Amino acid sequence: MARNLAENVRKLLLLGQCVPTVKQNATKIRVKRLELDENLLMYFRKDEFYYCYDPEKKCQTGDIVLIEALPRKLTKLITHQVKEVVYPFGDVTDPVTGKKVAKERYRDDIDIQSELYGKLESAFDYKKAPPRGWQDGKKDFTSKPTYTKFHVFDENDPYAI
Amino acid sequence: MFRRLSFSLIQSRGIKHQVNIKWVRPEYVPAYKAERSGDLEALPNIPTSALGQYYALSEEMKNASEAVKKLFSVAHLGKKEYNQLVKTHMISKVKRHQYDENTAETRIARLTGHIRCLQDTMEKFPKNVKAKQTVQELIDKRKKLLKFLRQYDYKKFEWLLEKLNLEYKGHPETYHKLSRKESLRKLTEMHCDDIKNKKLADYRNLLESQQGPFLRKKLEALNFIRNEQIELQLPITVTEQDIKKVEQQLEEWTIKDEIKQQAKKKKRNVLIETE
Repeated sequence: MARNLAENVRKLLLLGQCVPTVKQNATKIRVKRLELDENLLMYFRKDEFYYCYDPEKKCQTGDIVLIEALPRKLTKLITHQVKEVVYPFGDVTDPVTGKKVAKERYRDDIDIQSELYGKLESAFDYKKAPPRGWQDGKKDFTSKPTYTKFHVFDENDPYAI
Repeated sequence: MFRRLSFSLIQSRGIKHQVNIKWVRPEYVPAYKAERSGDLEALPNIPTSALGQYYALSEEMKNASEAVKKLFSVAHLGKKEYNQLVKTHMISKVKRHQYDENTAETRIARLTGHIRCLQDTMEKFPKNVKAKQTVQELIDKRKKLLKFLRQYDYKKFEWLLEKLNLEYKGHPETYHKLSRKESLRKLTEMHCDDIKNKKLADYRNLLESQQGPFLRKKLEALNFIRNEQIELQLPITVTEQDIKKVEQQLEEWTIKDEIKQQAKKKKRNVLIETE
């Protein structure tokens, strides 16, 4: 009974992280789960991967997203769709005050501190910064999976290491 | 006799390859090289006649003679002082304030300066083992810091890549030694995909080329049916909208076909020119 319930809930909504993929209209979502080893009576991490339909590319690599099952499978691979981006990657908001955070400090506090010391022109300005993704494919190669270079092609693929 | 037999045995032992693919093993690139470490830039343009970092601050140096200035220049003080200048130059690109020493961006900038200096050393003295170890450690440390920065502040991460002219690549699923079998498998897979896609594209082209004549025939038939029905005063089943729709489809097809023909002509011309 309980297992059935869990499976049905799994079809409804899942929370996972977006991982790099080469698919054009879909994103790959990793759902972390713990699995009980009955011999050791210990829980071990077990990852499940779901391909989610996402033609507008709502989520980028690293985002924590909610996904739900499609009423009908779109393809053999794509079974879910992205419902909502819950936590965008590298853009943390404090849930209590609603302020933006960088590591353990508020961004405003960092700005105030550097202004007290005398802010230089070289300092990073959060207000002028464009949204994430302007370096994607130029200097930041994280949206697609990297792999070991296996052949010398005419065109050099930046994702080959 | 025996030797020849054994030779032929060894020859036939490898994978017998049906597909004609020539595999080229990628050349080994040491990890300290700029193309592996992700540095898109070499050392900054600092002249060797520049004064040492702290000597430049001194009051006496401003009025000193040329000979004294030469003595206290980086060329005379040594590589260490020059490297210090490089590091301060890199840090000055991203500094928050005057006393900024230990934030993530300054640490990464300092490491970058140090790495580029050591890469320069490695170019000159490839057998310097100590420098090789150090530069490898520094590159790994910088990658780790960049990884963390990416996790908690993506905007700053991207800005930093632009400022320091760095490249960041994610970790692959596995780090493993490349094998011939794996590479050949991947190449064969790509080859099969190519064949499949080419066949599909050809079939698509064939079907699309048949579309035009069919639409023309359909238009004629529809017009004929409509005229007959009007003449014989039968209930009209073919509306003008149907005919218009077919006409529109035909127009669209002709435009597409023209573009295709032009592309084909261009290809042919290019081929003739290359020959």
